[in-house]
Amino acid sequence: MKKNFLLVGVCLAVFVRSDGQDKVNKSYRNFPVIITIQFHSLTLPFRDFKSNFSNVGFGVGTEVSFNGKRDWVQQFSATLNRNQTIGNGVLFSTQTVWRPTIVDQFYGEIKAGVGYNYCLRPVESYRPENGKWVTVGNKGKGMFTLLGGASAGYDNYSSSAYISPFVSYQFMVLKGYNKSFPIVPETVLQAGSRVHF
Amino acid sequence: MKRNLLYIIASLLLFSSCNKYVADFKTARCSNPQQNFKYSKAAELESALDELVQKGVPGVVLAVQSDEGYWATAKGYARIEDKTPMQLCHLQYLQSISKTYLAIAILRLHEEGKIDLDESITKHLPHQYHHYISGAEKVTVRMLLNHTSGIPEYNFLPAYVSYLLQHPTHYFQPEDYLKYLDGKKLVFTPGSKHVYTNTNYVILSMIADSISGDHAKLIAEVIFKPLGLTTTFYRNDPGYLKYPEIVNSYWDRYSDGVIENASVLQRMNVSTLVGDDGIVTTPVDAIKFLKGLAEGKLLCDSTMRQMKTWVNDSKGEKIYGLGLVYRMINGFEAYGHSGGGIGAGCELYYFPEKHLYYFVALNLGTVTDSPLHSELLRIRDKLYDIMLK
Repeated sequence: MKKNFLLVGVCLAVFVRSDGQDKVNKSYRNFPVIITIQFHSLTLPFRDFKSNFSNVGFGVGTEVSFNGKRDWVQQFSATLNRNQTIGNGVLFSTQTVWRPTIVDQFYGEIKAGVGYNYCLRPVESYRPENGKWVTVGNKGKGMFTLLGGASAGYDNYSSSAYISPFVSYQFMVLKGYNKSFPIVPETVLQAGSRVHF
Repeated sequence: MKRNLLYIIASLLLFSSCNKYVADFKTARCSNPQQNFKYSKAAELESALDELVQKGVPGVVLAVQSDEGYWATAKGYARIEDKTPMQLCHLQYLQSISKTYLAIAILRLHEEGKIDLDESITKHLPHQYHHYISGAEKVTVRMLLNHTSGIPEYNFLPAYVSYLLQHPTHYFQPEDYLKYLDGKKLVFTPGSKHVYTNTNYVILSMIADSISGDHAKLIAEVIFKPLGLTTTFYRNDPGYLKYPEIVNSYWDRYSDGVIENASVLQRMNVSTLVGDDGIVTTPVDAIKFLKGLAEGKLLCDSTMRQMKTWVNDSKGEKIYGLGLVYRMINGFEAYGHSGGGIGAGCELYYFPEKHLYYFVALNLGTVTDSPLHSELLRIRDKLYDIMLK
């Protein structure tokens, strides 16, 4: 796993042009609408890739730049993870994104952050109450979540509204899944676009 | 363009809406075995079990064989959704109690001179399998039987657990479990200490397969048939875990006292477990099995002595023989085994001094912690108090 992360990092470093920072478009506009379609899986990163093409969900978000450029931004998102086998979930997250230019309008991303993941159960559930079983629907559980990931995208600035498509691979660690498995790994493969108005 | 996009999204949603976790497994109502015996402790035990289901166990069965004879009872539900009552004719998951059955089958091979307990497992386990196990040549069959091998556990590896949860209907082959160990070192020098792992018994099942051709048939031949266990099943047919008498299973996914029906996951998981798990039975057959073993109907005396040669835990206390757990309960020695899974938990023990056998099984998972378990353990101890006083 570590090797894979290192590999991604090294690749980005190699491909980032030395003058990349200067080429960053300085006319970045804050608060684009980020729309994603995503595939969710309970799996360790870089394993079980087949699962990464199932369990389709959606996300919306936005971001704001730290320096008026696109290379350092803070993202905020809300995503619906549809995964009926383990239970659907809603993730509210924020991530700090380093987005160096690779070549021309193409960029890479490395991002990390935190979130709150509310995961439902996959089936109707029950709790004991006065000797009887009372249904609680698909009652879920909220969990603190650590996120990290890498992305690649295309961003061709325009003074009018424009879109900036990207693909992203995210790894999440959910804390407090249950007492026997206090942390659980999940991955998300995303495709989406920022829409700059 | 927009329409195409909508089609794609709709197709993806439709494609992803198939929930493999859900199936409607009914548990059939069946005919309870005749009971014409009144056990002197029946009322107290019934009361304790009533409390157990009040506190949050879906269903439970208890069977006791003592000097007074055989007695059994069932409480709660085999299936909550349609309030199917738990019955004594229902099939219960033995989970890790299955290890005792496999150990006996291995020991029978030993009695027949087909296996030397103190030889390296590499002699019996084909290279295609033992190459996954680092230091396999230092591990003996006996070390597998008494969990002193040092071979790592597969059952709690994040890669395995996450794959199991995401793919509840995936059929693992025995070799798949060993693949999870590929490249992992032994966790201690073989023979130096006792650490219980399921992996040891997966490997034993593969050894039994390589010697006898089919460890499940071997178990049926050397245990089920001679003891007349007509309601005990293990890989006798591909659909044996779809028998209508099998109870539904529940687990507390988030350790918050809320349970969900995990029958799909439980059945698929148990159906792919080899040697370390996999047997289903009724209470009467469970007791018959342990009684048959204790009365010497399955193994000769010298082999039985080896089976009851206990290794110690880290505190220096007796803990495990060859497929048998050793326990001291309320000052009385007991041997047998416990079992726990995603959707079931059970105990099967014999107290030689009291001439007492007991079997208890729940359809609530005990392999992951739940606040419901604290009451469960308290009431289990109460059962001990009643049975052993």
